[in-house]
Amino acid sequence: MSTIIKAINVSKVYHKTTIPVHAVNQLSLSIEEGEFTAIVGPSGCGKTTLLNILGGLDQPTEGRVEVDGTDISIMKDSELIDFRLRNIGFVFQAYNLIPVLTALENVEFIMLLQKRGKKERHDRAMELLERMDIADKANSKPSQLSGGQQQRVAVARALASKPRFILADEPTANLDSSSTNNLLDLMAKMNEEQKATFIFSTHDQRVMDKARRIVTLEDGTIVSDVKR
Amino acid sequence: MIAIIAWRNVWRNKGRSLVVIGAMIIGIWAMAFGGGFMQSFLTSYIESSIRHETSNGQVHHPKFTEDYDIQFSIEDYPSILTFLQQTESVESVTTRSLVNGMISSSRQATGVKIIGVNPKEEALVTELNTLISDGAYFEGISSNPVLIGNKLAEKLKVNVKSKVVLTFQDIDGNITAGRFRVAGILKASSLAISESSAYVLKSDMNRLLNIGDNVHEIAFTTISGTDDEALANTLQAKFPNDKVESWKEISPALVFMEQWMAATLKILIIIIMSALAFGIINTMLMAVLERIRELGMLMALGMKRVKVFLMIMLETIYLATVGGPVGLLIGYATIAYLGKTGIDLTDYSKGLEAIGYDSILYPMLQPMDYMQIVIGVITTAFLASIYPAWKAIKLKPIDALHTI
Repeated sequence: MSTIIKAINVSKVYHKTTIPVHAVNQLSLSIEEGEFTAIVGPSGCGKTTLLNILGGLDQPTEGRVEVDGTDISIMKDSELIDFRLRNIGFVFQAYNLIPVLTALENVEFIMLLQKRGKKERHDRAMELLERMDIADKANSKPSQLSGGQQQRVAVARALASKPRFILADEPTANLDSSSTNNLLDLMAKMNEEQKATFIFSTHDQRVMDKARRIVTLEDGTIVSDVKR
Repeated sequence: MIAIIAWRNVWRNKGRSLVVIGAMIIGIWAMAFGGGFMQSFLTSYIESSIRHETSNGQVHHPKFTEDYDIQFSIEDYPSILTFLQQTESVESVTTRSLVNGMISSSRQATGVKIIGVNPKEEALVTELNTLISDGAYFEGISSNPVLIGNKLAEKLKVNVKSKVVLTFQDIDGNITAGRFRVAGILKASSLAISESSAYVLKSDMNRLLNIGDNVHEIAFTTISGTDDEALANTLQAKFPNDKVESWKEISPALVFMEQWMAATLKILIIIIMSALAFGIINTMLMAVLERIRELGMLMALGMKRVKVFLMIMLETIYLATVGGPVGLLIGYATIAYLGKTGIDLTDYSKGLEAIGYDSILYPMLQPMDYMQIVIGVITTAFLASIYPAWKAIKLKPIDALHTI
């Protein structure tokens, strides 16, 4: 398996001019293609900051992040937007679907931004919704869906762009047990069937149980990295 | 799909969108109606002035208008008269003798412009006969009839059939006077007619002035749509020894008024557009601020800033596209209706007539005016959307995503 992400001596310091907070401190990490990785740790340990840096949403104060050998830490804002569109899928804690679009349109939207053809968009969106077991809600708006259903649509959206990897920031935090198990099973299936690379930040034990690699953070540094 | 998202976003908060669309409708209606109303004021005043005072054009001896010296009669006036009568765009023509003099009754005396007219021709050109409020149009008096304005009659304390004496200098500089009898009282919104003019028969006037058949003034009206300035220029070129002027040259005050009204209308439009712009900015800013997380998410997923900008602008333009035509339609319907029935301002007629306006006004707007309103609204909506859209693209996805 090839290395997709390489974080090298990455640090992120907030409030540099007042009291500095080292959210991520001299952290190095490699993610291989097809991994199903959970980044865990107590609140404030730097999980979300690390995910934001890996996803090109935030720039490290020091160090660099390479995705398929390309240093994204030095990219301009406009380049990063395009890079994210082509390479990264996002699943947010609060689902963040576009409220005025249906489930199908939400999944199609990302492919539209990639300028894919209408038929391809529709077929892939439907296929993903079917795989995520939510095709019957294709024409429902997010407000008509439960939290679990919305998150399944969000995962389908993240997969739709055929990204190199998917970053999921506490994807189960707002879900009940049944929805969480259901979502995790579906994501694990996607990981196995489509070789989709997932990186979660979580402190949900159920996610950790499913993960095949657990990276534990404390005070912005990796204290353990276990592959199963 | 951005267009679809923008359209659906407009209707996410129906109440708010409808309020801003309502504001647009009222704003556009107010602009159309205000413009039409002011236009009717202006047209009423100008038309009344042209009809009863200046006519569309006049011809004089070049030196006559300097100090109304009666020696300067129009040269070869029969040729000019014939030419005008044969010109298709000329509706009617009349000739006049003019002199400044005094009018006195047994109670009062005052300065007055004495105008010698041919009643039939004058009625066609200035519709002077329609202004009679008391007495008759040069009838009912066997010799030396005179028509005076109602304000002048009040000042002189005279009525129909009262005697007045007109005094002025004849062609030789001798003071001459004629005893006239009031045949009719004129009521006009024009102060020149109601306060300071006396109309007599040209034959009586010329006899007293001792100027034979000469005339000092030719006045003509034209059919609607005639370029009065061009006609005056043609006439001037043909008769270079006399001075031909269109109503714009005769009465620069009317031109000033036209320009002043246009400027006032522009100010009114700017005020309404500004209010509209702030309404739009407020609404769209609210729409952006309450969607910070969503906009951040869109940019995080890979939506380019230019597309986010376009989406916010489209939302604004959609608001204008809904509100604009409705406002314009209501404005058009209001003007079309009131343009036929007129707005009756009889309650204020005394005040209006005192400053030269008719008491019934007929609002009107030209197609170009509607076009200007449409362009104004689109431009306003476009400009007003820039700030909220700019605010949206200034968001950093990471900060926006963490906004609660």
